[in-house]
Amino acid sequence: MKVGDQLPEFAVPSVDPARMKTMAAVLRDPYRVHWDREATREMGLDGRVINQGPLNLSYIVNMLHSFSGPTSVRRLTVSFGRPVFDTDSVVAGGEISAIETDRATCAVWLKRGDEIVVSGTAVIDIAHLH
Amino acid sequence: MTVVSPLGYRFPGGTYMIAHWENWLLTDCTTAEPLPDDLAHPVALFHVPILGAGTSITELFEVCGAEGPGSVGLDGYDWEYLRPLRVGVEYRMEGGIVRWEQLVDERGNPYDSMSFSIEMFDVEGLAARITNTWRFRRRQPEGVTGATS
Repeated sequence: MKVGDQLPEFAVPSVDPARMKTMAAVLRDPYRVHWDREATREMGLDGRVINQGPLNLSYIVNMLHSFSGPTSVRRLTVSFGRPVFDTDSVVAGGEISAIETDRATCAVWLKRGDEIVVSGTAVIDIAHLH
Repeated sequence: MTVVSPLGYRFPGGTYMIAHWENWLLTDCTTAEPLPDDLAHPVALFHVPILGAGTSITELFEVCGAEGPGSVGLDGYDWEYLRPLRVGVEYRMEGGIVRWEQLVDERGNPYDSMSFSIEMFDVEGLAARITNTWRFRRRQPEGVTGATS
């Protein structure tokens, strides 16, 4: 493992609006844009519902889990640049930017095609990978 | 719309235990398989601190004067895990609104930027800490012409 290594990608071929509805219930999220197509029509968005930010971030987490295991995530610092809509195809990726003893810092992102929709950094525990 | 600054607003505080069914559904929403050993999916660090602190997305929208579809946006999260989250563990939460700024976006449209922080404790002490920043877009006052589109 070294700085510059790419993390294995995690792909979501088609963001599922049914999962957004379940997520809204789990989160107790009243924001209609996640489950009511009429709300996004009012916004001029052609009735496509908007994926929750935590779900966009979860694809990055799943990518990290596949690389370093399910207890490895120590810090996530992310910015949300663009909304993700139902049926979008997105891919989470990352690159190791620093290694310090048992921790690695990674640049992480979620892309829709070539467009970065979420970006930031993740700190992961890599002690068990040595 | 001018909203009274909620800076300094403290959540009541409280406790929260992640249920198995809740974590199962949450993890399924992420398109992943359930995690082993009663591990909660790390994305639980969105709703668990909010609900455990005794508030809700609904209350945050009200306190910050959300104006309907399209008026709320996410700017960023900073989530720290001192150890993995687990199902069936009681966590205690405390926090509040720590930042409120009236800003203008690159198109000249006004918005309020709000950050809230919540700390999450288990029997060993601090287990996780979050700071989330949300954007509340405001309509232009009448007679003011900002950038279009």
